[in-house]
Amino acid sequence: MDALALFKIENLTYFYPETEKPALQEINLTVEEGEFLLVTGGSGSGKSSLGRALAGLLPDFYGGKIGGRIFLSGRDIRDTDRRSLAGQVGMVFQDPEKQLVMTGVEAEIAFGLENLGLTQPEMFRRVGEVVSFLGFGPLKQELTANLSGGQKQKLALASVLAMQPGALILDEPTSQLDPVAAEEFFNLVKRLNEELNVTIVLIEQRLERCFHLADRVAVLEDGRIVRSGAAGEVAVWQVKNGFPFVPPVAGLFAHLDFPVVPLTVKEGRRLLQEHFHIRGDAPGAGVGRFRPVRTRREEAAGNPGDKKTGPVAEVKNVWFTYPNGREVLHGVSLKVRAGEFTAVLGENAAGKTTLLKHLAGLLKPGRGKVLVHGKDTGRTSPQEMARTVGYLSQNPNDYLFQDTVAQELNFSLVNLGLSDDGRTDRLLKKLKLARYRQTNPRDLSSGERQRVALASVLAAGPRLLLLDEPTRGLDYRLKSELGGLLRDCAAEGIAVVLVTHDVEFAAEYAERVVILFDGRVACDGTGQAVLAESMFYAPQVGRLFRGTGYGVLTFREAVAKLQERS
Amino acid sequence: MLQQFFYRERGLFLQSLHPGVALFYIGTLLVLTLLFAHPLYLMEILLVTVITVQAAGGLAAWEGYMKPALAMVFVIMLLNPFLAQVGTTVIWHAPEPVPGRLTVTLEAVCYGAAMGMRLLDIISIFCLYNLMVNPDRLLGLFSRFASKSVLVVSLATRLFPVMAATMNNIREVQQLRGVDFKSGSVKERFAKYTAMFNILLVSSLENSLELAEAMHARAFGSGSRSSYRRECLRPRDLLCLGGAFFSLGTAVYVQVSGLGAYTYYPQLDPLVNGAAAVLVLLVVLAGLLLPAGLSWGWMHWPYLKSRI
Repeated sequence: MDALALFKIENLTYFYPETEKPALQEINLTVEEGEFLLVTGGSGSGKSSLGRALAGLLPDFYGGKIGGRIFLSGRDIRDTDRRSLAGQVGMVFQDPEKQLVMTGVEAEIAFGLENLGLTQPEMFRRVGEVVSFLGFGPLKQELTANLSGGQKQKLALASVLAMQPGALILDEPTSQLDPVAAEEFFNLVKRLNEELNVTIVLIEQRLERCFHLADRVAVLEDGRIVRSGAAGEVAVWQVKNGFPFVPPVAGLFAHLDFPVVPLTVKEGRRLLQEHFHIRGDAPGAGVGRFRPVRTRREEAAGNPGDKKTGPVAEVKNVWFTYPNGREVLHGVSLKVRAGEFTAVLGENAAGKTTLLKHLAGLLKPGRGKVLVHGKDTGRTSPQEMARTVGYLSQNPNDYLFQDTVAQELNFSLVNLGLSDDGRTDRLLKKLKLARYRQTNPRDLSSGERQRVALASVLAAGPRLLLLDEPTRGLDYRLKSELGGLLRDCAAEGIAVVLVTHDVEFAAEYAERVVILFDGRVACDGTGQAVLAESMFYAPQVGRLFRGTGYGVLTFREAVAKLQERS
Repeated sequence: MLQQFFYRERGLFLQSLHPGVALFYIGTLLVLTLLFAHPLYLMEILLVTVITVQAAGGLAAWEGYMKPALAMVFVIMLLNPFLAQVGTTVIWHAPEPVPGRLTVTLEAVCYGAAMGMRLLDIISIFCLYNLMVNPDRLLGLFSRFASKSVLVVSLATRLFPVMAATMNNIREVQQLRGVDFKSGSVKERFAKYTAMFNILLVSSLENSLELAEAMHARAFGSGSRSSYRRECLRPRDLLCLGGAFFSLGTAVYVQVSGLGAYTYYPQLDPLVNGAAAVLVLLVVLAGLLLPAGLSWGWMHWPYLKSRI
């Protein structure tokens, strides 16, 4: 056996209890000490199961049938007792809300140490070390409930790190975080890997921020490792074999058959210069030239891609303060037209969700007015609004309580007194849910659950569709399916407004982009105008072409442009 | 608005006490309230509590507590003289047409007032508890003895705001699916709320499995647990503990020796029964005021602050 192999998996096959399809099939994998392994693949591909197996949770916690063996430092993981295993391998999960136990920060960090039965002086030393390494000092007395999402996930990491594991399994640790918090989290992971030689197994489907960090990338499909190797090489292989788990810049150059694939924007720009003589200082191409807030004249002239129809919704100089005194919206004005696909971007607490809830009539403006189909939402109940407005919240589970998918759709129809004129069938077919008609929605995967929630919202035939962070936790395939669906909705004349942190998604699908900052509209225009020249809100391909004057935002545009040049 | 009724960390001296000491101090106040029926002692405890509440910066919160409390006191004072037909000093006879012999006695009025005072004491002590004692630190104190129960309480406390937020989201989603929680018969409304709780329950069950997994991954249940402590006893804790012990001891002595006894019926005892009674009253007062006094010194006297 390789002397440096920390994990060695031999022919691992695993079935969850009461399932006939294996979650993992004949996995063979070696992870060396100090290695950074990125595991990617679609939803249900077995990524998380692999992580659980490495952390010793399969079959210990889940039960089920297992075949093959996993060695940790040369010893079969099933012969290692739980205490010693937890001291060697730590695992951080997706949602910080579902892994924190204690009410206070310091107590949370000590929780695992208490479970290991350590002495008070040893616990105190370890808590102290972790608090100073992660810079938790100012927060150590804080209640966990008062932390932001990013801080909570960092706390989950801290509480695992206190157990001083040699390896960390991170199961989509940033899927619930905003981009800034995600970036910060990955930087921390990188530091752990480089400075402390902690072996990292990162399971991730949001690859723009972590692909370049990995020493090796493994792609899973149907419970099997279909490819594993250096990041660049795996990117090329994926593009050739039709796998989408590649960050856009790497994907672009792999698509163009480049021998060396860049993993970062910096490397990509160098290749652009060398091979296409495209430079970032093209004449007339101002860097970071944000299109300003639209003027009154522009506003009067209508929106980009205006369908020459009256606005479906109009937000007129809206100010809003929550009962706790936090003023969130400061004079926001916005018109949304039929068939328009708008993405609202902005930092955390910029007022995005608050704006969305105003459009839905769930919140009433303190000052100003919101008109939806000419009706003042301030004087209309949410139930009344439900006839014209569809609202998909962040968590599709908030919708699902009926016994079957069909009943879930029917629930909305009955409440609104609508008859099923075949729309249930049409929607189920359109959203690829027809075969789940009689299935309990809670038995479906996360992507499918979201489609059921969306179907039950669309069943009411809304003219304005509002979505809050719909791409959270979705892989590339599911995202593109969702994007396609929403685009179809817009083509049918539905006004689509979504709030998102996902710049890539906004660039690909939204025709109009609004950026909020501190409760004000900081920028409003076509996706092209707003995102292409933006420094921080640009998608990865946009950053690659920023300042070149090409105005390229998406993968397709970039391919077309570069093929033209070559 | 409701915020003022919950504990908030504000870095005050009284909040920095060891939770066990703070609990002992508050327990002492409560025991004395229940031990004494003497109006001067009941008044003394109210005085001490209000001064300490003030030192904990909670007078506004205390006023919030007092509004309903005073209404209750008023009711007690009004009812007691009519219900307790004992006492010898009659101050009012019901007019002739009223059947029976309804009278109001001075003793019954005073007893009602004293009981009202006791109620004010108890409510004020509860207010002080909320201002002074961090429930998490207090819970941590018990984790050595009942770690699993403490963990369950801690988890419930942590998950409560999360569930409240989820509940709000579900309600909004249901409203925008056409559910009107305000309309319909009681049965219909019940069904609407049941659906909402159903979603919350199923989601919570799903989440609890994930939480259990995360706990398992952190070696929970892998053997006997130890308990992490951060609390330490400082001179301030010893001083406050000493003060409370001193007062409690004196009070027990006073009660056993009969110095603090007071009877309302059939006739009121004299309020002050000699110099010794006044002296012990002051002694008890001094011991109980120690935390508030130290708090004042801690704020205004850097030397003292550094020493305690």
